[in-house]
Amino acid sequence: MIVADCYIASKGSFANGQKVHALDDGEENWLKTLYDSGKYDYPKFHKMDNLSKMAFLGTELIAKYILPEITENDELQLVFANSNSSAQTDLKFIDSYQNQGNPSPSLFVYTLPNIVTGELSIRHKWFGENIFFINERFDASFFIHQTNFAFKRGNKLCLCAWVDTTMNPSEECFLFLLSAENSAEISRERSAEMHEELTNRINNYRNE
Amino acid sequence: MNELKENLKAQIIEQLNLEDLTTADIQDDANLFSDDGLGLDSIDALEFIVLLESEYGIKIADPSEGRDIFQSVNSLAAYIEKNR
Repeated sequence: MIVADCYIASKGSFANGQKVHALDDGEENWLKTLYDSGKYDYPKFHKMDNLSKMAFLGTELIAKYILPEITENDELQLVFANSNSSAQTDLKFIDSYQNQGNPSPSLFVYTLPNIVTGELSIRHKWFGENIFFINERFDASFFIHQTNFAFKRGNKLCLCAWVDTTMNPSEECFLFLLSAENSAEISRERSAEMHEELTNRINNYRNE
Repeated sequence: MNELKENLKAQIIEQLNLEDLTTADIQDDANLFSDDGLGLDSIDALEFIVLLESEYGIKIADPSEGRDIFQSVNSLAAYIEKNR
């Protein structure tokens, strides 16, 4: 069952199909604008790279406004994926030692994509499993497949995210929470329905 | 001293990649390593050591001093004034 979803991009934030905060075209510091609009009190946000910031903002929308009970839930697994890994920060780190003369430790810590899941686990006290995949593009079936594994291992919730930063403005984070309900397996029929529903949802957000 | 503190804030923002913040967001007496301040951690302390050496020519001989020196912009500025 799809419990909740949200979408974060430079055009704004959205949750469960509704616009939460619209942003002006070309707003330079749009991640900070979304952070300020949510009144989140978490100074570490400002240290994060854009990949972590987007996932943070999406997770806050769900955890603060939609489903607060996901915090401190040990039966929740994180399944994240993107196509560019941490390339945006990797390039900044390369620049720090090739052109600035000093390899920056604060950039270096973000030169792995799974730092994102670590940041969120610290924030929400999630001590369960997490994994970060590199895929060519968003594929709802892949997430459902991984969620099925998570449920078979006893997890009750799966927080999935397609969170990607690229070298152009098409950065996006599509985050969705799936629940096992009272079943340890998602049926084939249900998988097909969820695939269609999730694909429609991300496409609707992209076309908003 | 005020000019030094403003410079320090700008350098902290640049060195620590705090691109969201402006110098006005950092209070002189805020504890930089607490969640009420900037929420910095040990990695950022390393950045401060590099910053002091590269910008002010100050080498911290005893790393255990760092906790007090890096506590706030006020303490950083006082240490630089005293040692440069």
